[in-house]
Amino acid sequence: MTAPVSGLETVELPEMPSLSRLYVAAARDAARKLVGRASARVSLPRARHHVAGVRPDLVKMTEYQTLLGETKRDVAPAGYVHTLAFPAAMSVMGREDFPLPLLGMVHLRNSVEYLLPIRYDDLLEVWAWAENLAGHRAGTQVELVVEVRHAGNDDVAWRGTSTYLAKGVYLPGVDKPGLNGQRDEFSPPAPTALWRLASETGREYAAVSGDFNPIHLSSISARALGMRRSIAHGMYTASRALAEVGPQKGDTFTWDVAFEAPVFLPARVCLSITDIADDDGTWARSEFVGWNASSGRRHFRGTIARL
Amino acid sequence: MTDTYTAFVSRGWGRDIAKRLGLPQPVELRRYRPGAPLLPGPALLVGSGPSAEAVASALTEWGVEVRREGAPDGGASRPDDGAKAPKLGAIILMLEGIERPEDLSAPVLAAGQAVRSLAPSGRVVTLSRRASTQDEPAVAAARQGVEGILRSLAKELRAGATGNGILLAEDVTADAPSVIGALRFLLSGRSAFVDGQFLTVGSSAGELPSDPERPLEGKIAVVTGAARGIGAAIARTLARDGAKVVLVDVPAAGESLAKVANEVRGTALQLDITRQDAGERILAHAVGRYGRLDVVVHNAGITRDKLLANMDAARWDSVIAVNLAAQLRINEALLGSDGLGEGLHIVSVSSTSGLAGNRGQTNYAASKAGVVGMVRSTAARLAARGGTANAVAPGFIETEMTARIPFATREVARRLNSLQQGGQPQDVAEAIAFLASDAAAGITGNILRVCGQNLVGQ
Amino acid sequence: MSTLRKAVVVGGNRIPFARANGAYAMTSNQDMLTAALDGLVARFGLQDERIGEAAAGAVLKHSRDFNLTREAVLGSALSPETPAYDVQQACATGLETVLGLADKIKLGRIESAVAGGVDSASDAPIVVSEGLRHAVLELNGAKTVQQKLKALSRLRPKDVTPVAPGTNEPRTGLSMGEHQALTTAQWDISREAQDELALASHRNLADAYGRGFFDDLITPYRGLARDSNLRPDTSMDKLGSLKTVFGRQLGDKATMTAGNSTPLTDGASSVLLASEEWAESRDLPILADVVDGEAAAVDFVHGKDGLLMAPVFAVPRLLGRLGLTFEDIDYFEIHEAFAGTVLCHLAAWEDEEFCRERLGLDGAFGKVDRAKLNVNGSSLAAGHPFAATGGRIVATLAKQLHERGSVGGRPARGLISVCAAGGLGVAAVLEAR
Repeated sequence: MTAPVSGLETVELPEMPSLSRLYVAAARDAARKLVGRASARVSLPRARHHVAGVRPDLVKMTEYQTLLGETKRDVAPAGYVHTLAFPAAMSVMGREDFPLPLLGMVHLRNSVEYLLPIRYDDLLEVWAWAENLAGHRAGTQVELVVEVRHAGNDDVAWRGTSTYLAKGVYLPGVDKPGLNGQRDEFSPPAPTALWRLASETGREYAAVSGDFNPIHLSSISARALGMRRSIAHGMYTASRALAEVGPQKGDTFTWDVAFEAPVFLPARVCLSITDIADDDGTWARSEFVGWNASSGRRHFRGTIARL
Repeated sequence: MTDTYTAFVSRGWGRDIAKRLGLPQPVELRRYRPGAPLLPGPALLVGSGPSAEAVASALTEWGVEVRREGAPDGGASRPDDGAKAPKLGAIILMLEGIERPEDLSAPVLAAGQAVRSLAPSGRVVTLSRRASTQDEPAVAAARQGVEGILRSLAKELRAGATGNGILLAEDVTADAPSVIGALRFLLSGRSAFVDGQFLTVGSSAGELPSDPERPLEGKIAVVTGAARGIGAAIARTLARDGAKVVLVDVPAAGESLAKVANEVRGTALQLDITRQDAGERILAHAVGRYGRLDVVVHNAGITRDKLLANMDAARWDSVIAVNLAAQLRINEALLGSDGLGEGLHIVSVSSTSGLAGNRGQTNYAASKAGVVGMVRSTAARLAARGGTANAVAPGFIETEMTARIPFATREVARRLNSLQQGGQPQDVAEAIAFLASDAAAGITGNILRVCGQNLVGQ
Repeated sequence: MSTLRKAVVVGGNRIPFARANGAYAMTSNQDMLTAALDGLVARFGLQDERIGEAAAGAVLKHSRDFNLTREAVLGSALSPETPAYDVQQACATGLETVLGLADKIKLGRIESAVAGGVDSASDAPIVVSEGLRHAVLELNGAKTVQQKLKALSRLRPKDVTPVAPGTNEPRTGLSMGEHQALTTAQWDISREAQDELALASHRNLADAYGRGFFDDLITPYRGLARDSNLRPDTSMDKLGSLKTVFGRQLGDKATMTAGNSTPLTDGASSVLLASEEWAESRDLPILADVVDGEAAAVDFVHGKDGLLMAPVFAVPRLLGRLGLTFEDIDYFEIHEAFAGTVLCHLAAWEDEEFCRERLGLDGAFGKVDRAKLNVNGSSLAAGHPFAATGGRIVATLAKQLHERGSVGGRPARGLISVCAAGGLGVAAVLEAR
């Protein structure tokens, strides 16, 4: 098996780590860091975590498909692969030598290339590492990259890049960018769909994704972390938009989403999906945007495109 | 709709109490059921001659045991032959030969001797000639006298027994189909609530049914107001007797109309009969679906009671429009149509209120008396094409409508007749079914009361 | 087509349509369909007839009604030997039963048929939550007390809350009204135009009642003799005073009110279809021929077309196949899901660009003569018990055509179009007899 990225030390994990354990550890670290003010690191871990023998869980995948409105097919939805493989990335973020605090990180963008279909019974290997530590006007951002391959196949089947922002964390030597993130005026188009998101939405997605980040679970747990109310997982909204693009996208595609205003639960979210076809009429991509039905604030936007 | 009082005093200790207190003692009337014997016992036939023979042979054919009084072979089977002798089902008094009042004595007194032997719901039927202005005074007197005898005797009868008469026009003999047909009707349970009445047979027209239990076999009949009450009973009875029934009622009554139509396997025609084209629509439906029209029963009617001093135009006009004007217009359409076959039988529902009058019902009585006039006039017009027009005049009938009368008033009203009870919708329907049949083709322009010999009116 | 025999409309029967939670609040779909069938049997004396086949359906359907039509047949005065099946094509259910059965008659498979539909918004099925469903299924399979307790322990309070059905499109979460509000705004249909159409619907329906037109099309039920939504005395002022209920996010462009939208309604309808021979041999009337029909669907999910715009596509295809244009149509029965729906259809057929680009025509398809549109009222006035609407329209149009007879030497001709959830639309052509 060739190493997917050179120059990184491969750390073998015996099994996919548990996200909840990682969150507990992160909370402990956060407390320690508050007390100890550990010296800030300015570089990312030179490590790549590897988990072999990963297999989708059919029950979990079915629950995921039910919640997100995906037709129950044998090919795993791209968002499900994310929930399956992302704990490997979390374990990178939970490393002692990871320079940013795991808790309180904001998911800015997510980009997925689904290159080869993954079936529910496929045996998989997962690699995860962090890269592109960069300044942001509100703190420091980092990309967590996850690659999934079929066991015994060098070709990447699924690659996800999740960009996180550590708000208010400024690292020495990491440049702050200029005011490049200018906000464009958003005027909502005609919606093509309306989501009525109940307050349980966060708990329900946590149950199928394993992402029990307290800010998603209840208004109490969210308030403990400084949020007014609980917020929907960004990946929930992105995955639901992906599901609603429908079967035209096929099994393999790219899926990019940028998250903006958080979705405080409960919420009514308007969605607009625009299908764009080639000259010959075949589907090329779908652009989607979601906004708050009452305030008109944009929550997310993205594109799903043919490879 | 059930008369609980009648049920109460008909059996057990209720009967004893009523007897001791001298309360009215109505009995449950013998009503027609297909397959049941025509009479509850033998018939005593009083009289002789060809007429009596004709009646005797009809009775025998109907499976009735005939006993003779005044027959040449003389009293072989007198009713008082033995204490064990079964009660008489009927007494039939042949009086068509009488010429002088004095002729009445022997047969009437002989019949009187037999009255005590009459079974519950037994029958007395007289056959006599209609008195007319052409008759010699003595003849007319004797003939008219029969009516007094019968009406009084009917009031003397007890336990559901009734007395009715058949009047023969001058050239009609006792073997005429409608005489035999009327006799059978009056003997049977079909006439349970007809009491103290006469049917006049004006001609020898008509035909007896091959199956007396299916006298309307294959006939196409229209019944208006058929959704409920008496109209529904008429539809059921006509269907039972073999007719295909077109049931008409206002569109608003369509739900019950459909129910009755499906029950009697007929067709529902939702129609406001006051529409100008109601007659054409009825005709189109009947002829369109069934190829012809044999019977029309004008039953639809409404009441809008008010003392005349308080009457408004809406109440007055609507009653006249529905109860009378609509019938006239429909008849006109029917009579004006070429498509109609011969032998159309029209039967209208009048009312004892129309004959005797009723407080608060000037409008209703006008319409129902008007029906009488209309029927007599229409009968004359229809005679040329072999049709008939008759009316029945119900007295107190147990319906949803009469159930709404206050209890005390209702109790009095239903006891004010010789049978001491209200009639059932079926009783009216039976009379109509008879008048609608070909066996009654010799009977036209008649107003037959179905009132248990109500004390009011004629 | 020429080798096929004809399928004819003998007549129809429906119960008056009742606004939800009104006269029929306590009656089920089966009750109402049975009543509609009973009235049909009574009207045509079908008590002893084994009908070739009966087909009907409901949009909102209880799971216990898995054999709704057959159960209604068994409960009705129809011969119990009449076979039956259910059809479900959203609001097009009623029209589709007519077309499907007419085809069977044309092919000679059956001689007679009863088509129909029913819906109850009052007795809509309430389903249990997924959580409760799973727990109950597990409980049924549990053998020990422990297993049973375990199954029950999974229940959460919210699982016990029943779930009422919505009329929201499953794929978009938008209600039909919200969808139409978007299309109405897209086609720039004014509030006034919608209110005028609603007013015409009420007036036409009231006039039809007034002249006794429905005397042989409707059988009263449960004390209701007329459609309870009908407002004979409504006016532009009254309609204009109503608040908008759909598309409020459009602000000033919101135009849809309870007056120019159909209310939730309960009701049932039925239509008697037959071969000519069958009808003639029984001396039954023949009102109209079922000439042809066409279904269409639009890709509404991402807004390519409006949810209720499929008839815009079905009608030109159908008329094209028959070699007809709007000039050849004497009566247009365009189902009024919303006034905006009808007006968007009319606008689309008049729009050159749309007709060229989306319908592939040389130019605008044509203009509907408003004097020929829904002449006896439509769903805005009568109400719209989803699956029952097709039967209402077919029977009404067939009678209207029969009364008209011929037009310029040819049989009077009517066009029906019905839009439906899921971006569906069905159209049909009937001709007078």
